[in-house]
Amino acid sequence: MNTILEVENLKVYFKTILGDAKSVDGVSLKVFEGEILGIAGESGCGKSTLVEGVLKIYKPPCYIPEGKVYYKGIELLSLPEEEFRKLRWKELSYVPQGSMNSLNPVIKIEEQMVDGILSHADMSYHEAKELALSALNSVGMPPDVLDMYPHELSGGMRQRVCIAMSLCLNPKIVFADEPITGLDVVMQKLNLQTLGDLRDRYGITVVMVAHDMACHAEICDRICIMYAGKILEVGSTVDIFSDPLHPYTKGLLSAVPSLEKRNLKGIPGLAPSPLEWPSGCRFHPRCSYRMKICEEEEPVLEEVQPGRSVACFLYGGK
Amino acid sequence: MKKSIFSYFINRILLYALIFVISLSAFFFFINLVPGDPVTRYIQMLEQRYGLSTPASEIVIQKYKEVFGLDKGLFERYISYIKRLLFYQDFGPSFVAFPKPAIELILESLPWSVGLLGTSVIIAWVLGVILGTIIGWTRESKISSTIFTTGLVISQIPTYLLAIILVMVFTFWLNLFPMGGAYSAMLQRSFSLRFIISLIKHAFLPSLSLVFVYVFGTMISQRALVISVLGEDYIKLAEAKGLKSFRLVNRYILRNTLLPQTTGLALSLGFIVNGFFLIEWIFNYPGIGRLFMMAIREMDYNVLMGITITTMFCVLTANLIIEFLYPLIDPRIRRG
Repeated sequence: MNTILEVENLKVYFKTILGDAKSVDGVSLKVFEGEILGIAGESGCGKSTLVEGVLKIYKPPCYIPEGKVYYKGIELLSLPEEEFRKLRWKELSYVPQGSMNSLNPVIKIEEQMVDGILSHADMSYHEAKELALSALNSVGMPPDVLDMYPHELSGGMRQRVCIAMSLCLNPKIVFADEPITGLDVVMQKLNLQTLGDLRDRYGITVVMVAHDMACHAEICDRICIMYAGKILEVGSTVDIFSDPLHPYTKGLLSAVPSLEKRNLKGIPGLAPSPLEWPSGCRFHPRCSYRMKICEEEEPVLEEVQPGRSVACFLYGGK
Repeated sequence: MKKSIFSYFINRILLYALIFVISLSAFFFFINLVPGDPVTRYIQMLEQRYGLSTPASEIVIQKYKEVFGLDKGLFERYISYIKRLLFYQDFGPSFVAFPKPAIELILESLPWSVGLLGTSVIIAWVLGVILGTIIGWTRESKISSTIFTTGLVISQIPTYLLAIILVMVFTFWLNLFPMGGAYSAMLQRSFSLRFIISLIKHAFLPSLSLVFVYVFGTMISQRALVISVLGEDYIKLAEAKGLKSFRLVNRYILRNTLLPQTTGLALSLGFIVNGFFLIEWIFNYPGIGRLFMMAIREMDYNVLMGITITTMFCVLTANLIIEFLYPLIDPRIRRG
């Protein structure tokens, strides 16, 4: 499989009066062409910030102290702003988090869909509208949505409008940030199917950020587990669910409810603050397998099986 | 949908009428409770001016009070004033320029004020919104933060103080602009080029003192609005869409700040009019403001009331129009 996107030691920090909040602190990962990659982790681990960093749509006080992002061999972060603008939406598309407030409340859906198309493609307004219509159709939305304002749509409909918008220009990668959060289960199912369809029908690579493990299990090929601004484990969905290696992954999976086990275990303690991550392995204060070395040294992400990496001293490490 | 917008309009109109009646009554009692009355004051003025040693007889004063209806009780006067206003749409005669009706004095000076104030406010508002949007959008740069800090200071300068400074600099030192009045006394009112140039020259300084301060006030509120909009999710999506900067700023940032900014204009209209009265006084501009100041000095009740009703009418109507415009700007009100 071809690597379409490669992130190398990416750091995304926020300047605060208490020092830098290191939301994403050295993440390296590869995205293969035509796959659905899930990024999982609890709130505040830097999942969304990672996506915003890759797409460079963050706002000050957020900044990137170091790191590289290669898309088809082009280094994105050092690209001039205008060059990057041309890549956005056309090649690297984005489905925003929640989507409740992601549409401009005072502009009709039509204009919001068409302006994205017209910023990149040289075509008439009418052609762009046709494109928007077919995109809406492909996510199962009626054409009269175009004439509506965002507040006239339900949350799930807005979400699907956002998905439709993101695939208007037939992009290579879609970054979906919490695409189903805050929706009821019927809508969740529908939207997940829509995202899955993107890959199956159009061959679009999808990077999906979500905290809900069940949602990853549904459609992802591979999963990255993030914790405290770092990636702890990467593996195929089957491997991660059937045989989790990292203690954190085990904890995450034990927190997924099912009919058989009603007593959820979960992980004791709270997520640490990005202002001051714990020393050594960032998970050690909450880890039930911790050893002496965990407090002192930081484990690196190493491949333990083909296509399977984990950052934990239990599996060798340094 | 139809019904909700209809009731919205009815609601606004009723509120408008209520505010009008309350403030009108409040002002009537307010000026009538001030000690003294126009007749006594006028006679005192005459005495001082001509050095009369014998005080005017009680009978003369009483006679004039009767003529103007000032001998009756406060409440009685209020009722008769409202009656006259309602049934004859009459503000009554001016006391000082008797028997000229107050409305005539007001109508003479109103166009001057409306012209000067209207142009100044529109120029200031448009410039302020554009400037505020630019410095909000580029708020990280050194230049923007310098403009912001400077603007913050300037916006707090009272307009009358600036007006005095401008007169000093441009009239006394540089001798570029006339000191006061609306047009050169040597010219006849006409549509000739010379007259129009003279008109603009005379309006320049009073207008500048208002525009200069108000531009920065608008700029600062616009910058704050832009920054709050920048944090919205839809801006993030708009950036991810790779929109060109102009479109992003124009349709996603400026468009979304216009509603609160228009409200701001409506709210500050009253304050602007207040500040404007002093400007007219300083520049001896023959507008409503100068007339008002003169009427206060001479306690010309009817002119005072007339001006108050006129300005109240203008400010409230402007507010009402702006409120009627909301549904055009914000679809959430239109179709909510």
